[in-house]
Amino acid sequence: MKTLKTEKPKVLILGIGNVLMGDEGIGVSVVNELEKTSLPAHVELLDGGVGSFLLLEPMQTAKKVILIDATIDGEKTGTVRRLRPRFSKDYPRTLTAHDIGLKDLLDTFYLLGDTPDVTLFAVSIPPLQDMTMQLSPELISIVPKIALMVIDEVKF
Amino acid sequence: MARVVVDPVTRIEGHLRIEAVVEGGKITDAYSSGTMVRGFEKILKGRDPRDAWAFVERACGVCTTVHALASVRAVEDAIKISVPANAELVRNIMFCTQYVHDHVVHFYHLHALDWVDVVSALTADPVATSDLAKSLSNWAKTSPGYFSDLQKRLKSFVESGQLGIFANGYWGHPAYKLPKEVNLIGVAHYLEALEWQKEIVKIHAIFGGKNPHPNYLVGGVPCSFNLEEVNAINTEKLNYVGKLIKDAMNFVEQVYIPDLMAIAGFYKDWAGIGGGLKNYLVYGDLPTKGYAYPEHFKFPRGAILNRDLSKVYDVNGKDENEIKEYISHSWYQYSVGDGVGLHPWKGETEFNFTGPKPPFEQLNVEGKYSWLKTPRWRENPMEVGPLARLLVGYARGNQEIKEVVDGALSQLAVPIDALFSTLGRTAARGIETRLAARWLKEFYDELIGNLKKGEMNTFTREKWEPETWAAECEGVGLSEAPRGALAHWIRIKDRKIDNYQLVVPSTWNASPRDGNGMRSAYEEALIGTPVAKDGEPLEIIRTIHSFDPCLACAVHLYDPDGKTLHQVTVE
Repeated sequence: MKTLKTEKPKVLILGIGNVLMGDEGIGVSVVNELEKTSLPAHVELLDGGVGSFLLLEPMQTAKKVILIDATIDGEKTGTVRRLRPRFSKDYPRTLTAHDIGLKDLLDTFYLLGDTPDVTLFAVSIPPLQDMTMQLSPELISIVPKIALMVIDEVKF
Repeated sequence: MARVVVDPVTRIEGHLRIEAVVEGGKITDAYSSGTMVRGFEKILKGRDPRDAWAFVERACGVCTTVHALASVRAVEDAIKISVPANAELVRNIMFCTQYVHDHVVHFYHLHALDWVDVVSALTADPVATSDLAKSLSNWAKTSPGYFSDLQKRLKSFVESGQLGIFANGYWGHPAYKLPKEVNLIGVAHYLEALEWQKEIVKIHAIFGGKNPHPNYLVGGVPCSFNLEEVNAINTEKLNYVGKLIKDAMNFVEQVYIPDLMAIAGFYKDWAGIGGGLKNYLVYGDLPTKGYAYPEHFKFPRGAILNRDLSKVYDVNGKDENEIKEYISHSWYQYSVGDGVGLHPWKGETEFNFTGPKPPFEQLNVEGKYSWLKTPRWRENPMEVGPLARLLVGYARGNQEIKEVVDGALSQLAVPIDALFSTLGRTAARGIETRLAARWLKEFYDELIGNLKKGEMNTFTREKWEPETWAAECEGVGLSEAPRGALAHWIRIKDRKIDNYQLVVPSTWNASPRDGNGMRSAYEEALIGTPVAKDGEPLEIIRTIHSFDPCLACAVHLYDPDGKTLHQVTVE
């Protein structure tokens, strides 16, 4: 599909995760929260779900990518880290469960070169996820805060 | 005797652990364990059946569209709807697009590196590579300059220490047999396939409204056609789809198939390895006269037992004596006792984890050892997937399938028995991709023909309202995911979902033994596989990858630590 020609280069806000697995879906929840706000025309919101290789094209066609994903890193649930990864190995090892989803995607993304500027908001979640579409209370309360962090990032 | 553990198997979707017993350089026994929990059926209970597709397609980023398809079919079967011709065509176009995309990605990005040695490609001669590439195909990018530029790029990538996706290889392993030049072609097309795959999936966004996770609809497809309207699926968008299809056919015929044949030619010994089970199950798919008429499916439905291609058995997803799920070796419990098999309409999903707490050295394979249940067809373990589809089609005498299968066999100069193997499984995937690409064009042409005649209908409103449904009803949606037979079973009570069970392809293939000690497909296929080097289980990975494992929907996260273990313990 044609991308709309805008004056400013595309900024992609990409939330990733499996909404069927509770806190794993935090990235998508943040995108849903941002849907309620009005964003400039050059900013594209994408619910990446568990999209794996399908996300390569939207990521490559952006000048700047803001990624929101869950990580199981042993930190307190709801800890948000802002990372500026330059290579795939700079990403947290346990970026959720979508195995060929993100890790291989990022590997290929860096292999192809000409990569956009990436900021990652990694949100710590507990190791065992129940099958539920509900976020845990610690995460529900910080969704708006993460959304604001993302909006601030767009302005950079 | 050594026990080799591969956990997790990399370059797959989901989380799989393989334990293999090696004696005298060969595997004598094997155990396959899905180490993540399943149970998203629980999320569906009590919901509107018309919404189920939107939840199930979130289970996996790879098979997303086929889960939605199986779901809408299950509901339509329960409430007795047949969809308009255009809806069937659009679904078939989505389906074929998924096949072509998924099979190409599997071959190049998940499986090729089991056969192609990336490090060897660094020292290939670009001129010789160019000559070889020109002899294989008419593909445009074959100049010596192209290959030498690519080689430089690859070298700088490797030298930067950012090996990335190439980090998990066993480069230099003695089981790699390709000449350097073939390795370089393989790596070149790995990259070209990455670029190409971004384009083909746009077909899903055009007909499904978005990607990932495109939209489906009970009763049809959510597409509004209007050849002149800017916001509808119009002539411009349809022409674009036509172009994507043409490019896809070229890529399959000029890149994928020549590469597959060239690589297979160097690994003919793998036509004698990894055959495994002798039974094959196919639900069939791609209706040409409606879902109710499987005799007109492009992929015929049926089962083969004991590799006897002279007889194909009929398969009925509704017959409670045919498909049953057992849990003798699975971390579940049944209210009726763990030794009983349950048809999915009566299926239960109660967890009963009795396994060791990670990290652990090995599973207790005498007891329960997997989060996958063990499905059986008439009590037989069955293999599902591209090989099963081609064999059932071949045995049914389907001309289109026979033609491409016989063509590939004669090109490789191997008998049909060669298909019962790891190589056969990998070849079957490519062979059926040729068909999927042709059929994609065929369905597209038919759709365009209908639209030009003014047939725009894509949805039947009849039975949309829950008041028109029976108070209690049940349905089954049978489909063929790229990696094999996929089915969703639904029970609807008082217009809500009362029970919903999925039996996915990797449950058939990757499940543990049944109560009678009969191995499932992965476990059986590993028997007799050679293992040349301790600590580098390349041969195990080859056979497992030949099935195209995808466990994201079979199971879900259990072991949070993504570490790769290639541990070998000597007993």
